[in-house]
Amino acid sequence: MKILVINCGSSSVKYQLIDADTELALAKGDVARIGMAGAVLTHKPHDRPETKVSGDIFDHIVAIEYVVAILLSENHGVIEDKSEIAAVGHRVVHGGERFTDSVLITPELMGELRTLIELAPLHNPHNIRGINAAQKTLPDVPQVAVFDTAFHHKMPPHAYIYGIPYVLYKRYGIRRYGFHGTSHQYVSERAAKIAGRPLSDLKVITCHLGSGASIAAIDGGVSIDTSMGFTPLEGLLMNTRSGDVDPAIILHIMAREELNLHEANTLLNKHSGLSGISGVSSDMRDIEEAAGEGNVNAKLAIDVYCYRLKKYIASYTAAMGGLDVLVFTAGAGENSAAVRAGTCGNMGWMGLELDPTKNAEASKKERVISSAASKVQVMVIPTNEELVIARDTKRIVQAAG
Amino acid sequence: MATTRIIIIGAGVMGQGLAEAIATSGEEVTLTDKTTKLAERGVRGIAESIEREIHKWGLTPSDKRAILARIHPSADLSQAEEAEIVIECIPEDLEKKRDLFERLDSFCREEALLVTNTGTLSISELAEATHRPSKIIGMHFLNPVTKIPLVEIVKGLKTDEETFRKAVGLAELLNKEWITVNEYPGYVTTRIIVPLLNEAMHVLMEGVASADDIDRAMKLGFGFNVGPLALADMMGLDVVMSWMENLLAELSDHKYNPCPLLRKMVRAGHLGVKSGRGFFHYDKDGNRLKDESAKTGETGNKVS
Repeated sequence: MKILVINCGSSSVKYQLIDADTELALAKGDVARIGMAGAVLTHKPHDRPETKVSGDIFDHIVAIEYVVAILLSENHGVIEDKSEIAAVGHRVVHGGERFTDSVLITPELMGELRTLIELAPLHNPHNIRGINAAQKTLPDVPQVAVFDTAFHHKMPPHAYIYGIPYVLYKRYGIRRYGFHGTSHQYVSERAAKIAGRPLSDLKVITCHLGSGASIAAIDGGVSIDTSMGFTPLEGLLMNTRSGDVDPAIILHIMAREELNLHEANTLLNKHSGLSGISGVSSDMRDIEEAAGEGNVNAKLAIDVYCYRLKKYIASYTAAMGGLDVLVFTAGAGENSAAVRAGTCGNMGWMGLELDPTKNAEASKKERVISSAASKVQVMVIPTNEELVIARDTKRIVQAAG
Repeated sequence: MATTRIIIIGAGVMGQGLAEAIATSGEEVTLTDKTTKLAERGVRGIAESIEREIHKWGLTPSDKRAILARIHPSADLSQAEEAEIVIECIPEDLEKKRDLFERLDSFCREEALLVTNTGTLSISELAEATHRPSKIIGMHFLNPVTKIPLVEIVKGLKTDEETFRKAVGLAELLNKEWITVNEYPGYVTTRIIVPLLNEAMHVLMEGVASADDIDRAMKLGFGFNVGPLALADMMGLDVVMSWMENLLAELSDHKYNPCPLLRKMVRAGHLGVKSGRGFFHYDKDGNRLKDESAKTGETGNKVS
């Protein structure tokens, strides 16, 4: 069963065609600069070299037409007929409280999705545009929405209620939702496989350290807490996002610098985090390089990044009453030995110790990097959100018959 | 250079603001003026405006690169031939605007949206310079365009529904709230704000309160972001006076009679922010200087 997985941004579409039976990604790629001059599709079949196509891609509908066309093309294609695409799985960032699992998309559902735009104004509109576009191009193919928030839906109220008037939760749905659900779910399931124990018996903490970063406490396979909240701004220090701050600071800066809402929002989302502290770059690799050359603020940015991770790991261990596996994934989680070492240093008191040699090894593979004596297993697991979307899409479509 | 869907004619303050707003929304735009030099100066002005916004945390350096890459300066008016939307932003001079629309009419696509960005002039009168008066519409953006969330969409007598819908589409692209205005002198915003500014000047001239106190009273008392005298300084006192005279001529109501203090200041060359002195004092970057005269209760009678 071949499934087209789609992740739509404001001017981009990322896609993978996955054989959900063998779990092989037959092709992956993206369309960038949609609606602008120089729009380009980059396509990589699993068994042939990458290719680029540029054209007048003025909206998401045309973008998805291009994707389908190249999947069918003689030289770069991986299927022979459109009908081989059995289903389309869409990443949708926010499912609110309404969507606790992936769902088959129906006309009624589109209305409900639109009501969620208010909760994720930056992401959901583009996701919805992607769904509309795929329905136009592949009208008879079932479409499934897979939500970033769904994996966290079992978080208990004491973890998701904020310390503000309860009526605001009732009125506007202001609570913690959590994001990166498909990634946390995927790596926790892989961790159980590697540990050789059922996930239902394990206490796992997963650190997704991409350009957006979040951490989740997964007790017996259920996410009981996670660091991103009402929006993806809360929690860990990120590449350009502040993560946790004293909320009074925002009001204070807005008054002192006479900022409007948009400027305050951009300050916290785009000028903060690693980039804001280091003044060097938003990319951990550049910052590590600068720190190595003696840049004090670059070093400070890494220290803040690791220190906050460490605090979250210890607090989630307390929340679960123990910890069996700690997982690092995505960007810096998969690639930065320094971040992993900085985070896990001096945690022997809770039975967590890295093997410095294993940690330092650069690899694209799943691996255990804790010492033989460590009671907590520490793992690096490359994430695969698209595969989770493909699996869920297959499950939902088969259940619907 | 590729032809863009949207073209702006006139790279002054309004043209720059609009080009910046359009490029920020993700669209490509051509910014034209009489010479390449003028058009390029317009793009430099936009770059400076973006720099100020980066300084205020509103944009990032990578936003700047992306926005500027979408703006194409040009001295070639004929590029409007292929454009879907043509926006005129030249100075408020009816004759010049009429000439321009006559030329645009001769080579623009039949279905193109032709927009005039005027705060006071008659759309119907401009439209008559063309053979397609139903395709002409006014869109009154307020300065600074990137910051003010409002546009007045002004229908001339012959503007048709389709043209109006396209103008709404442009407003939505730029993320602006819009109001519909049936052409009438001063539209809504200018018609209402100008007498208010004029009244503040009377209050100052009559020695009721100092300039600073008048502004503070209106800011704190009614939630204005800017006091009326500071606002007049920002708009330019000569501009405010020409609006008053225009309203007076069109509507023949004495309430639009420019305050004598306003006339006196304009004659003395105290035009507000742009001349460094109006009701308050400004440095060359337009920042307001600490202005002791305003605090001590000096009234307009002593201004010049």
